[in-house]
Amino acid sequence: MGDELIREVEQFLYREARLLDERRFHEWLALFADDVRYWMVTRSNLYPRSSKAIAILNPGRNVDETADEDGLAVLDETKKTLEGRVARLETGMAWAEDPPSRTRHLIANIEVVPGDTPSEFGVYSNFIVYRSRAETEQDFYVGMRRDALRRVGGGLLISSRKITLDQNVLVAKNVSIFF
Amino acid sequence: MTAQMSQLVDSDNGLLSRRIFIEPEIYQQELERIFARCWLFLCHDSQIPQPGDFFTTYMAEDPVLVVRDSSGQVHAFLNVCRHRGNRLCRADTGNTATFTCAYHGWTYRNDGRLVGVPYLKEAYHGELDRERWGLTPVAQLESYKGLYFATFDPEAPPLREYLGEMAWYIDTFVDRREGGIEIVAAHKWVMPCNWKFPAENFGGDAYHVHWTHGAAITTGFSVGSTASPATANRMVSPGNGHVLICIGPDGFGDAPMPEIQAYEREIRPEVRQRLGSRAALVNPIVGTVFPNFSLLRGTSRTLRVWHPRGAEKTEIWSWVFVDKAAPAEVKNAFRLSGVRGFSPAGTFEQDDMDNWQECTQTCRGVMARRMPINNQMGLGHERFDAALGAWASDSGFSESNHRQFYRRWARIMDAESWTEI
Repeated sequence: MGDELIREVEQFLYREARLLDERRFHEWLALFADDVRYWMVTRSNLYPRSSKAIAILNPGRNVDETADEDGLAVLDETKKTLEGRVARLETGMAWAEDPPSRTRHLIANIEVVPGDTPSEFGVYSNFIVYRSRAETEQDFYVGMRRDALRRVGGGLLISSRKITLDQNVLVAKNVSIFF
Repeated sequence: MTAQMSQLVDSDNGLLSRRIFIEPEIYQQELERIFARCWLFLCHDSQIPQPGDFFTTYMAEDPVLVVRDSSGQVHAFLNVCRHRGNRLCRADTGNTATFTCAYHGWTYRNDGRLVGVPYLKEAYHGELDRERWGLTPVAQLESYKGLYFATFDPEAPPLREYLGEMAWYIDTFVDRREGGIEIVAAHKWVMPCNWKFPAENFGGDAYHVHWTHGAAITTGFSVGSTASPATANRMVSPGNGHVLICIGPDGFGDAPMPEIQAYEREIRPEVRQRLGSRAALVNPIVGTVFPNFSLLRGTSRTLRVWHPRGAEKTEIWSWVFVDKAAPAEVKNAFRLSGVRGFSPAGTFEQDDMDNWQECTQTCRGVMARRMPINNQMGLGHERFDAALGAWASDSGFSESNHRQFYRRWARIMDAESWTEI
């Protein structure tokens, strides 16, 4: 992957982060392809097969946590439902964000890899999202994103985003912001 | 012990002391008298289908290990090693013949028997009676329609008696079709609120729906069945502190997804027939099995436990469920409606948190704590309905279920034993 493309992707993701922190959600939505799957999963606590804490009785029953990621999703959205979530925020009754959260998205470890189709490429990135709300509430959301970016005209669109949030029991009371 | 709880809960006049949501002594009494005494939900049969399958959960603050032994029998034990009290199993789920403690290596078979003690001969001179040091079982374990419940109290009445008329109402969630239900998604998170606020909310707060969830309703995330005081809606209390919100028999509470709406219309005659004549009177869509197990069938389908974590903290464990007999695409639609509606990021659920948090946190103030909660909505406008086998409100908006829930709570809190309850 060329330096020019890597630089373009970095700037694209930094700008996206700024749009979210500035609550410019309609401009943020415009970065997504109409057929996007936008989903966020959480993590399990499972013993690895090598663990001496257990003695597996039925080898077919112990599976890797990625086998059931659908079952751990807290977001599994389409472009349409993402638009619905933004419309929600504009009703004057979206109490989880009223008054709004103050967020800061820090994006790092950006890695550009070949995509599944010629018009797309993959991008890994890590994130720390700080959320400050009300008087003293603070949350840290930390994890990884695996995006597919699609070249459309002269620009880029996010055609798939999988977000892995590195928690089992979420210690935040809700997930009312975007990643 | 602290004050008589019956003096803090005045259900005859619809008043409730806010001390019960904040005082640590009252919370400790709840752990002893509510949670170490009542039947608590553990898990669904579909989460441990095979011999050796295990599932770790909690009964209030006690860690519990539910396991299907190698012969297929289900057990529930304190998830605590009998040696030094270390937590035995640290995984959420899995499959095993034995559990070995990470501290010194004591090993228990999946039926609870202690079968391995390192250096038994050298360290214990062969004198440790392993038969006496197996895992500690719950006092009673029973299942109803695939739902496993347990109690730490050997004096508690049998599960079926504890559920009473609530059993039929549970059927309307988990026994709508042959084969019952299965779990398709799980969510766990922490809320800074007292456990009773979500428990009472799911048990009878139809009134909050139009306002707390106004953002989701007005942007098309719900059909909004409970959002208006339609006369067909009722608050229903089948006894023993169990409470539900029912919409009219012809109402639809499910998510406005075409796959789900079409499926529900198609199976309605079959479901009506299976559930019997009462299903022609009411359609239960959300409720709480006393004290902390709730079922939801409106907008999303979830089972959930409100695990108490001190007076000011609650951990939610929630599972999206589907009819086992439903086609794959319908199951996926229900999964999505659960993830999108009632999860930490749910378009409905995220707006509940701040309310329960602030109802709890304001109780820290001594003046705010003196101000009773108003539970008077619909006071005097409820009656026993023999066809429903329950007390029921005359209107779709009523706090009759709140009054029933807290009346039961006070009675159990004040009783010395089950014989007084």
